[in-house]
Amino acid sequence: MSQPDVDVVVVGGGPAGSCAAIVAARAGLSVVLLERGPFPGSKNMYGGVVYPRILDELIPNWWEEAPIQRWVTRRSTMMLTDTQALTVDFRSEAWGKPPYNGATAFRPDWDHWLAGYAEAAGAQLLTDTTVVGLIRDAKGAVVGVRTDRPDGDLTARVVIACDGVNSFLAKEAGLYEHADAKHFTLGVKETLSLPKEVIDERFAVRDRHGVDIEILGGTGKVNGGGFLYTGLDTLAVGVVLKLPKLAAQQQRPEQLVAGLKAHPAIAPLVQGAELKEYSAHLIPEAGLTMMPKMTTSGMLVAGDAAALCLAAGIWLEGVNFAMASGMYAGEAAVEAVHAGDVSENGLRGYQRRLSDTFVLKDHRKLRRAPELVLSDRVQHLYPGMIANVAERMFHVDNPHPKPGVRRILAQERKKAGVRRRDLLRDGWTGFRSFG
Amino acid sequence: MIAVVVVRDGQLPSGGDEAVAECDGRALLVGSGTAAAAASLTGIVRHATTVEFAEFRPGAWASTLAPMLQHETAVVLPGSPDGRDLAPRLAALLHRPLYAGAISVSPDRVELTRRGGTEIHQTHPGPEFIATLQPGVRGVATSIDAPTPDIVDATPTHLPRHEQRDATVLAVLPPDPATIDLAEAPRIIGGGAGLDAVARIEQLVHIGNALGASMGATRVVTDRGWVPHERQIGTTGVVVDPELYLAFGVSGAVQHTSGLGDPVHIVSVNTDGHCPMMQLADLAIVSDANETLDHLARLLDEAQ
Amino acid sequence: MSIVACLKWVSHPGEPHDERFSGMSPADQSALEFALRQAEQLGRDVTAITVGPSGADKVLRDALACGATHAIRIDAPTTAAGADVATAIASHIAGAEWVWCGDYSLDRGAGSVPAFIAAHLLAEQALGVIAAELHDGSVHATRRLDGGRRELLEVHAPAVVSVEGATARLRRAGLHSLRTANNASIDVVPATTPMHRAEFMVRPYRPRARELAAPPGDSPLDRLRVLTDAATSSAARGEKVTLAPADAAERIMRALRDWGYLTP
Ligand SMILES: Cc1cc2nc3c(=O)[nH]c(=O)nc-3n(C[C@H](O)[C@H](O)[C@H](O)COP(=O)(O)OP(=O)(O)OC[C@H]3O[C@@H](n4cnc5c(N)ncnc54)[C@H](O)[C@@H]3O)c2cc1C
Ligand SMILES: Cc1cc2nc3c(=O)[nH]c(=O)nc-3n(C[C@H](O)[C@H](O)[C@H](O)COP(=O)(O)OP(=O)(O)OC[C@H]3O[C@@H](n4cnc5c(N)ncnc54)[C@H](O)[C@@H]3O)c2cc1C
Ligand SMILES: Nc1ncnc2c1ncn2[C@@H]1O[C@H](COP(=O)(O)O)[C@@H](O)[C@H]1O
Repeated sequence: MSQPDVDVVVVGGGPAGSCAAIVAARAGLSVVLLERGPFPGSKNMYGGVVYPRILDELIPNWWEEAPIQRWVTRRSTMMLTDTQALTVDFRSEAWGKPPYNGATAFRPDWDHWLAGYAEAAGAQLLTDTTVVGLIRDAKGAVVGVRTDRPDGDLTARVVIACDGVNSFLAKEAGLYEHADAKHFTLGVKETLSLPKEVIDERFAVRDRHGVDIEILGGTGKVNGGGFLYTGLDTLAVGVVLKLPKLAAQQQRPEQLVAGLKAHPAIAPLVQGAELKEYSAHLIPEAGLTMMPKMTTSGMLVAGDAAALCLAAGIWLEGVNFAMASGMYAGEAAVEAVHAGDVSENGLRGYQRRLSDTFVLKDHRKLRRAPELVLSDRVQHLYPGMIANVAERMFHVDNPHPKPGVRRILAQERKKAGVRRRDLLRDGWTGFRSFG
Repeated sequence: MIAVVVVRDGQLPSGGDEAVAECDGRALLVGSGTAAAAASLTGIVRHATTVEFAEFRPGAWASTLAPMLQHETAVVLPGSPDGRDLAPRLAALLHRPLYAGAISVSPDRVELTRRGGTEIHQTHPGPEFIATLQPGVRGVATSIDAPTPDIVDATPTHLPRHEQRDATVLAVLPPDPATIDLAEAPRIIGGGAGLDAVARIEQLVHIGNALGASMGATRVVTDRGWVPHERQIGTTGVVVDPELYLAFGVSGAVQHTSGLGDPVHIVSVNTDGHCPMMQLADLAIVSDANETLDHLARLLDEAQ
Repeated sequence: MSIVACLKWVSHPGEPHDERFSGMSPADQSALEFALRQAEQLGRDVTAITVGPSGADKVLRDALACGATHAIRIDAPTTAAGADVATAIASHIAGAEWVWCGDYSLDRGAGSVPAFIAAHLLAEQALGVIAAELHDGSVHATRRLDGGRRELLEVHAPAVVSVEGATARLRRAGLHSLRTANNASIDVVPATTPMHRAEFMVRPYRPRARELAAPPGDSPLDRLRVLTDAATSSAARGEKVTLAPADAAERIMRALRDWGYLTP
């Protein structure tokens, strides 16, 4: 075969793609990073919280430069019924200091910033360029990509597909065996603007500190979860919805966001905020169940393209998994190019790295969590049951004496129609996943 | 201050009267039919110099006019197509700064709109400058008992030698209602966020055809991708100046209405009787815009 | 350097400057496309020129990717006044035959730079052009006049033509020319002519109060009556009614007839 145009083509300038490009370019390979938007991150959306510790290695002291909105120092989990709310609230001052934990950030800022490191490392970023197909050799090995530009073929030793959820490239390469609507959830988000001082006061935070609220039970009859994050002078509020249920209920996603915003526990937080932007995006939800084969001859798949997003219902981490898998894909590509073997076998370092690190370990651990969190019981029965228990415990109903907790529990379980066996089983699954 | 106004066949350009009024009635009229144009400015012009030239030739005209304007401090041209062409040529030959697109000009203060009409930039110019005044921003008050203007013909007997070259005019084409664009349309039917479906756009076009009106929209509608950007009326879209504006489901945000010119008649149909568009309208109807469009389309079809 | 495209680096108007959303305006894209077509037709090269800071290299790279052969950036701040921009450009393109510009820049929006360039180059001008036909030794350009009229001009070199945004769609750069353009070196020259920065006080737009023609009427009292609507019926102006849609349509028809927009 004649000399390929470049060593590595990375498709997609999201967090996965940029990290892959940084690693490969720093190792001295020639790298082209292709992005269909006018700049990396221009069209990308997510809830709003990133956990960037994985960058420690790639960008030492990343926190000094990263374009973050606020450092998350408060995390709340809320359980809502139509009229009740039970919140578990945690705050830590340690999360507000280096090396930090999570941060809220805008993707157009974050992705653009990260891609800057890829360019600085020598990768060539080409924007407004969409990959429309794979180029393969006679044996079926991937040897490049076809873009929508005139004269648009680009050959490479290794193609790293980081083209996001529902990856067209991974599918074209035949790496997905079972992609199915039930494996995806729909994320819908509104960005609202509100003055910084008002946010500081309403959410009881100062300076650059911020809040991450995860919500269960605020999505009506559609199974899903909600979130509310604080930007500097914006709020992100949205819902994550199970697709089949959404279709069955014939409800429009924006109605569900409106419903969440109108809930008595949420309304005072978002009151008076002005809508800046509305967006929607698919999320690969099924974790291990739906993951594709990560490697084929001449090609690696990373980030959402490989369904590596950890979306255990209300637990939404994708950017960190994307950055990590991108990094590992970059390392594996470097290894393979240096060894002169870019076959599936030559690229096997990728799968090994994924298995040995949090990327797949977390997924294995939480393998049952999405199903559990999105199950009908957790969605429609438990929140009411638990909220009622709390209400009765805190309710003072003199002259009646206070009832015992065990009794309340038993009564509320029966009232909610939850079988003891199911409750125990769900508890055990939850314990094994999160415990 | 003196206004320099390009006249074609005795017709003033849009904003020509405003430029003269801005300069307190002092004008230099140049082009064809300048005497008739001066007469049409009665009540606005006090002193006019006319220079009769046949064909619009900005390069040659600037060479002739520059020496005549040398001792003028501020020179104001209307921001019409001809004014916009001539002003920089004068500024270059007179070595003066040009303030283009002003909304108000006085000897010691010029206000310009910038950034798509969202900002006003104000400056204190030096003593000598050239400015173009945006048509329609000022309005004119004709004084009823103004003295007859004093008009002096200053057409040179022969053109001075100069080095400036000009394009050759092949033809002047009359307006064509079929291809007229929004900016020039005398009647406009506009739709806003109150429209419930993309099919409403076709309906607007259909009704517009029956009325000889062009279709326009608010930014919310162009953002929805229902109509192309060149159909967006407003400060970041097209600035229009129709006689008749029919607004369906348009709230009348300032970015929209400040690009609307000064229609003689405005009809607004809106479910909210108190929004700004309803306050501006000559006929404000509180009703559902979509259903009203259905009925209106039917009535117009029947009428034809 | 016989064909030149003047390209300004701008960001989306009405929003704060953000380099990520910056590039050539649609009008400048049209200008570049005409320059490229003309170059193909006449067998010449296209020089892309911009006056701006280093960020402005972006539009030059885009131009190179689309087929321009040379790129010059005159280093100056984005705030440089239009006349100075034109002087700087003219001093670098002496001898140019065809200069293509956008009709006006998105941020400044004055449309004066092309005419200034024409004055400096002693060139013919056709400004605010909405259609252009390229002929061997000339360009036929259609220009807007007031009231929907058009002027058809025949333009000969040396000439400056400024075109509106929708006149030509810029071709899409090929992948490999994009890669080359990305690494191409840009000719950066210091501004040798002065760059003034006019001092402006900036505030949000508010329309100016309009003067109205004095109302008809012989005595001040009559005029006052007209002004205050005291004597006229209130039916015509500012009527507000709540109607069912069918009645609303009828009412609109009646108004259009009354106002003379519909023949009865
Ligand atoms: C509503 C919602 C909320 C979320 N909340 C969070 C959260 O709070 N925290 C978190 O960590 N994660 C969250 N996620 C998940 C997170 O957004 C993703 O896991 C993450 O973006 C994956 O990164 P990636 O680089 O793999 O893909 P993406 O970010 O999707 O990037 C893919 C890139 O490829 C480009 N591209 C695609 N196709 C092509 C093509 N054919 N040619 C060229 N370029 C192409 C795209 O333009 C894009 O830039 C959320 C997701 C959603 C939908
Ligand atoms: C920098 C900047 C530049 C801008 N430039 C422009 C511009 O150039 N042009 C422009 O148009 N906008 C512009 N905007 C946007 C502008 O501020 C407004 O948001 C926009 O004009 C509102 O459009 P609208 O009237 O269609 O929508 P809305 O303000 O949402 O109003 C919709 C109206 O429809 C009515 N309505 C709803 N349902 C019905 C029904 N069934 N029947 C009848 N009425 C109904 C509502 O009562 C309401 O009055 C700009 C904004 C910014 C910030
Ligand atoms: N800084 C600049 N660099 C290059 N070309 C410019 C510059 N400013 C204006 N132009 C050209 O002149 C046209 C009209 O600009 P303006 O006179 O600023 O409205 C633009 O569309 C460009 O083609």
